Amino acid sequence: MNRRRVTVVAAAVGVVAGATGLGLLAMPAGAGPAPVLPDVSAEALVESVLNAKPAAFGGTVDVDNDLGIPAIAGVPQLSDGASNLRIWTDGTGKLRVQLPGGDSERTFVDDGRTAWLWDSADQTVTKLPHGSFERAEPDLGGEPKAAPTDPVTLSRQVVAAIQQYSDVTVDGTARVANRPVYELVLTPKPTEKTVLREVRVAVDSELRVPLRVAVLTNGTDAPAAQVGFSELTVGPQDASLFAFAPPAGAKVTEPEVGEPSAEDKAAAEKVFTEANPQVIGEGWDVVLAARVPRDALAGLAEAQQRGQREGRWSDRGQDADVDVQGLVKQLGKPVSGAWGSGTLITTRVGGVLIADDGRVAAGAVPEQVLVDAIGQVK
Amino acid sequence: MSALVATRAPLGRQLRSELRWILRRPRTVIGLASLCLVPVLAGIGLWFAVDGDGPAGPGLAAIIAGNGLVLPVFTLMLALPLLLPLVGAIWAADGLAGEAQHGTLRGLMISPVGRLRLLGIKAFGVATMTLFAVTLIAFVGAITGVVLFGGEGMLTLSGSTLPIGAALGRIVLTILLVTVQVWGVAAIAMAISACTEHPLVVMAATMAGVIVFAVLGIFSALDWLHPYLITSAWDGLIDVMRDPLPTEALWRGTALAGCYILIGMSLAAMRLATKDN
Repeated sequence: MNRRRVTVVAAAVGVVAGATGLGLLAMPAGAGPAPVLPDVSAEALVESVLNAKPAAFGGTVDVDNDLGIPAIAGVPQLSDGASNLRIWTDGTGKLRVQLPGGDSERTFVDDGRTAWLWDSADQTVTKLPHGSFERAEPDLGGEPKAAPTDPVTLSRQVVAAIQQYSDVTVDGTARVANRPVYELVLTPKPTEKTVLREVRVAVDSELRVPLRVAVLTNGTDAPAAQVGFSELTVGPQDASLFAFAPPAGAKVTEPEVGEPSAEDKAAAEKVFTEANPQVIGEGWDVVLAARVPRDALAGLAEAQQRGQREGRWSDRGQDADVDVQGLVKQLGKPVSGAWGSGTLITTRVGGVLIADDGRVAAGAVPEQVLVDAIGQVK
Repeated sequence: MSALVATRAPLGRQLRSELRWILRRPRTVIGLASLCLVPVLAGIGLWFAVDGDGPAGPGLAAIIAGNGLVLPVFTLMLALPLLLPLVGAIWAADGLAGEAQHGTLRGLMISPVGRLRLLGIKAFGVATMTLFAVTLIAFVGAITGVVLFGGEGMLTLSGSTLPIGAALGRIVLTILLVTVQVWGVAAIAMAISACTEHPLVVMAATMAGVIVFAVLGIFSALDWLHPYLITSAWDGLIDVMRDPLPTEALWRGTALAGCYILIGMSLAAMRLATKDN
């Protein structure tokens, strides 16, 4: 009798323990208490970031994307939702990046002489010259692209330029990927007309490299986009990670990169002159505006497909018979005004206004600023 | 088993007799034989698909050409969403509800064996048979894969080729991870099995649960619920085919299944302890 009661109690404890375990697993990992770090001024922090030496590290980057950008097939890292990518570097130009996607994976390996891009979905390997990744990827961290001649002066200039339009503050400390970081916050000055509220950059206290970047927009607490390490090991990485041999059954293609034909160049130049790209506004309200001839859109899509057929490394997700105008209409809402009529595509971090006559304006600004900008396009 | 020295009751003999009891059922033998057909059929299907142009299919099927050791992993991933939960549910249903239906559970409960030990022996039978079934599928899959597709080592989704030792290690890891997931389902099935006298109810309820969980996992509006669903961990098991091995999702899935095992076995113990004799 008594033994039965003990069993029932023990079993009830087991059920509760199991349910608690499920709850704990479902909870996001706690960040832990904020570390105590020596005070640093915002200017000094930005300067140290700009002068940081590249270090060897390996880790996992979590991408939380809530931009409201339509999904792009095959690259979940760019679509809405959570995804991750894994990255290793030895700090001297060798690099390995893996983009897991559902049940496939793309791997980019730069072994210092050759870069390889592997796609498991179609078992292809693309051979590229060394350094392709830096050119192809936008620089998120805000690190300098080229080695400046006088790093201190240059970083001061950058800080001054940032401060002209933004308030730069250090908002305490935190932990990212179990490393102590400073939270650097860039807030647009009140006069700026941007839709962005602030950009938070978590800077590693030791390496002075950004470990997490979050973009926050007006009206919400959750970041519109957040890219940050969830796991990071600093130090020399296994050399075998930076070696790649194309697997036996894979198709290896070697696209001609960096040597466009004269015909391509002329076409690009023609498009560029016609487009007459211009930058309107400054600081956070900067709007990129251009004029795209109506047939150029179709031409662009065609050129991209041709590039794809030749095995160029271009974004996938462009269907063979993509109807650009139709796609634009589908994504945006029709707007019109004194400047004409067109389609407005809004995301949480800004918008793109495409006029029916081919004028385009894009920026991290509200609709009215885009409308003002498109009126200035000649 | 006989190496276990019995202190109070010959536990080894009880466990052995439970396994013999399961294996002597003709349906067990027929079931295991048909499980062997799964990797063979999958292999033949992929073999025809590989002959055409382009990849043989999405996911793991894309890298199977010349890479036979992927077949066991592919087959286990194929069988995990429905077939293996069904297998686990059948054995869990036979264990308690089946005995109750034949009236033999009463005899077991009045025998001088503690009820917790009775549950433990039944759970051991289900767990061992599940591990055996999963290993059998992987073994037949590996043989079929090497015969049909050949290949030395194993090409991972990340594009690197693992040597034969590491490749076999990945297959063993897949077997263990998949088995633990099936145990999670089977533990819940045991809890249902302790509550009913009809094995069919156990199977139907378990499979309905698995299907409902899978459907709930589709809706992005319910994403707050997804971390609690055992089925949501199953897609992440494909990480065993990435190199270097990302362990986070695998640990997480295993811990999730562990919670289900704990809940299921506790509920079964609670029901069995309070069952009238």
